[in-house]
Amino acid sequence: MSDSDVKAQSAFESLSIILGSIPLTVKSSESPASFLLNNSAIAKQITVHLKQPTSGAGDNDLCRWLYDTFQSSDPGLQLVVLRFLPIIGGLYLSRANLRKSLAGFEAILLAIYAHETTSRKGQPITVNVPDLSHPSLYHEVPITNTATELNLAIVSQSLEPHGTIRSTKRARIVGVALELYYSKIAVMPTSSKIDFCEFCIIWAGQDGDMFIENEDNGEKGNGAEVSSHDGNDAGASTSEDGVIQKKNDGKQTEEKEGRIPLPWELLQPVLRILSHCLLGPTKSKELQEVAQSASRSLYARALHDVDPQAILATSSLLKLGKMAMDPTPKPDPTEIRDFMNPVISL
Amino acid sequence: MFREDDVVEEQVENGNGNEGGGGLGVREFCANGLSMKATLVEAKLDEGNIQEAESSLREGLSLNLEEARALLGRLEYQRCNYESALRVFDGIDLQSAIQRFQPSLSEKRSSKKGRSSTESVHTGSQHAASLVLEAIYLKAKSLQKLGRINEAAQECKTVLDAVERIFQYGIPDDVVDNKLQDTVSKAVELLPELWKQAGRHQEAMTAYRRALLSQWNLDNESSARIQKGFALFLLYNGVEAGPPSLSVQVEGSYVPKNNLEEAILLLMILLRKCCLGKANWDPSIIEHFTFALSLCGKTCILARQLEEVLPGTFHRCDRWNRLALSYSAAGQNTLALNLLRKSLNKHENPDDLIALLLFSKICSEDPLLAFEGVGYARRAIANAERKDGHLKGVGLRLLGICLGKQAKVASSDLERSYLQSEALKSLNEAMALERDNPDVIFELGVQYAEHRNSNAALRCVKQFIDVTGGSLLKGWKLLVLILSAQQRYSEAEVVTDAALDETSKWEQGPLLRLKAKLKISQSLPMDAVETYRFLLALVQAQRKSFGPHRSNILQVEDDKVSEFEVWLGLANLYSSLSYWRDAEICLEKARALKQYSPSTLHIEGITYQERERTREALVAYCESLMLDSTHAPSKVSIGALLWKSGSNSLPVARSFLSDALRLEPTSRSAWYYLGMVHRDDGRIADAADCFQAASMLEESDPIESFSSFL
Repeated sequence: MSDSDVKAQSAFESLSIILGSIPLTVKSSESPASFLLNNSAIAKQITVHLKQPTSGAGDNDLCRWLYDTFQSSDPGLQLVVLRFLPIIGGLYLSRANLRKSLAGFEAILLAIYAHETTSRKGQPITVNVPDLSHPSLYHEVPITNTATELNLAIVSQSLEPHGTIRSTKRARIVGVALELYYSKIAVMPTSSKIDFCEFCIIWAGQDGDMFIENEDNGEKGNGAEVSSHDGNDAGASTSEDGVIQKKNDGKQTEEKEGRIPLPWELLQPVLRILSHCLLGPTKSKELQEVAQSASRSLYARALHDVDPQAILATSSLLKLGKMAMDPTPKPDPTEIRDFMNPVISL
Repeated sequence: MFREDDVVEEQVENGNGNEGGGGLGVREFCANGLSMKATLVEAKLDEGNIQEAESSLREGLSLNLEEARALLGRLEYQRCNYESALRVFDGIDLQSAIQRFQPSLSEKRSSKKGRSSTESVHTGSQHAASLVLEAIYLKAKSLQKLGRINEAAQECKTVLDAVERIFQYGIPDDVVDNKLQDTVSKAVELLPELWKQAGRHQEAMTAYRRALLSQWNLDNESSARIQKGFALFLLYNGVEAGPPSLSVQVEGSYVPKNNLEEAILLLMILLRKCCLGKANWDPSIIEHFTFALSLCGKTCILARQLEEVLPGTFHRCDRWNRLALSYSAAGQNTLALNLLRKSLNKHENPDDLIALLLFSKICSEDPLLAFEGVGYARRAIANAERKDGHLKGVGLRLLGICLGKQAKVASSDLERSYLQSEALKSLNEAMALERDNPDVIFELGVQYAEHRNSNAALRCVKQFIDVTGGSLLKGWKLLVLILSAQQRYSEAEVVTDAALDETSKWEQGPLLRLKAKLKISQSLPMDAVETYRFLLALVQAQRKSFGPHRSNILQVEDDKVSEFEVWLGLANLYSSLSYWRDAEICLEKARALKQYSPSTLHIEGITYQERERTREALVAYCESLMLDSTHAPSKVSIGALLWKSGSNSLPVARSFLSDALRLEPTSRSAWYYLGMVHRDDGRIADAADCFQAASMLEESDPIESFSSFL
């Protein structure tokens, strides 16, 4: 057994104490860390625990487990913690105004933030937007000596270390954690991405259903999805249980729960992840539909905030999502030319 | 070509995959000028008798083994009998066949004598090579259809490797036969797709780059497809591609260093191709491009690209609106407004809700445009119906903000108070519709504060901080200002300290400035000096760590305190303490940062005036007004100075003070001095009114103007 397997094994054992029982045992063929990452039964149990109203407290065992597991500095186990980032970050931001202790969640988020700060050495992420008047890898133009201005865009600002979460830094810290999540998104299980999209809808606090009628009416999948999301808003769905329960316990029942300020530093990583869910390599219909629904909600939110940058990004996402869901088959350009020709010749 | 694709599609849709092209009549083979019906061969193949099928084909059409197998494989592939096709292809030793072409062709290439004979051999072996390559390609396709993606990719890669070995100097334009080029193009396009399907991201990346960077002699359409495929892969697949290898990097050319850069580059090239007519317009490309560039916050480049799009691609209103959004996101609001004016013209698309909202949003940021904004906001409210009903609250909110802004430049008291109460009314209506939007609560708080209804304002801002969990600095700042307006300085200081705790170092500037002003209000000048010093250190450290060049790319700039402001604040403070030397040093520093500033001149005037150097003071005030004829504090100071200088100047003093009040109706000192002027002129009742106004304002004067939030 390798060192990381030993770590994973012990993480597995301490988790089974917290959850009471884990119905399954690790198959020998699989590494324990990837088992923890991909096992849906365990994920479901952890999710239920996390969504309990007091789950974010500092003395919560599961939070401590997640924190310790992330701090184990084993990449495989860190992925297991990141898998739950949508729920942790989602619940944290939605509960931030409820004067509850969220120290447990904060510790995990800070650990992830610190990890990203170290690996980036605090440097910002920049994008040097190309200019076609200069030759590039993929195109040629006669070299001109006119220096054009540098189109440097900062995708993510430089990172300063934070020992605690100050309220004005919440969005940034969760945003940076989501940037890390995005960089690992190719190995994240679909269920984690679905959790993420569901929180997008809650965060947007805006119902996007009015944008459905433009969509292809002939598609039945969409119709079903619409009704299921109506259900969600009424509080009937399991996926939003955590938040809905909170709504019932909470004092401010007249307000729609979970809507949070969406500054660009948070919205930008959210949109990147969402674009992956919507247009990435997934084959899961469920993920695509919830991602579509999330992009509708975020578009509605962008309109309500009259934020031009967010309107541009979300409206194109929404349109692209519709195009991707379009069921008409596209011609396959790699099919041989004579496929339908009855005359077979050399 | 196109029609055939359509037919394939139809067939797939009908689900008669096994029949292949059965509906198209009897298949036949054609070769060497001979032809034969495929029925017999098909029967033999169905029995699993490949050998017999092969030999009857060879006899019937006088073919060699490889040719016969190739035809049989194609037949089976077209009949969708992929397993069988694979068995047929297994009968050809493809590897050795490839090796056979390799040296012969390259030899022929190097020896350049006897051109005609070379060419004929060339064509002959090309024909054979084409046959073999097509066979391997079909093998890959068959494997793909059977779901054996990894093997398919391997086969497909074999095609490309072979082509590269055969044509070491790239595929020449003229000598290649169509079929060979066709196979090559398809294989180039298929390989990355296969790796993608297999989930092998790195291989897919390499295949894409190989497709785009090697000389495959692709036509525009297929290279556009590959570029698009790669761009989307980079944007959405979630795997960082890493920079391209050094071997393909050319000195002086742009080499993307991450996914976003590479994707944007490819999309730009695609858009350019569309504009030049080298590729068909694909509406999705501009959407991907919009998404990518708004992620980077570089919507000005998006706007430039949208300007390049050929007319007729978008509806003009759509185009104007997209441009307006891009320019507005890039902070070029004047351009955005001009575009929106066009698209909202009554002959174009006057009811477009998003355009209306954006228009009034932009207007709401400028008092001089607010009037126009009010009209557009009203139109937006009127148009927010049915499925857009949810945006009614947004319209009302913008209407409220615009009215509040308009009140700032109102020409009479009557108009101002009317506009302010209208603003409150529409914000309250907005609140009813958007009760979960904290921004409305905030705007309402600002309006109440402007209206000097500080209790209501306090209620709003407390609720705002509650709902947002204190995550927005503007909430804290407004709370401090409202408390200071209520003269609750120590509470305001407690709030400032709490807010400082909730902010990181770099964002503390505005709070420290408030704190210094609070100290001054509490008559603790030395504490204020201390706070200013601290603020100064922060501002200077900030400038050093970000550097002068970096500041223009930092996106969050609005909330920064400038060094200039700090020096000015300090100068003001020192002069109130009669520390003239210190005040002068501070003014010197301020001047070094900003040479011509009315505020600096105004404070300079104050320092002269305090030292009884009236003439110099007056000169400084006048110079200040020359720089900015709407600088109200200088007008007040001139008025006060003239009043003190004796009864001859009273009418002039009065006109300066009234002018100042028109610009800044809540200026306490202006009311006070106007009262004095009235008193000295013997207009006691007027004087009493002015004094009353001054004393009322004193009781509700915030340490900084609320208008900074409007």
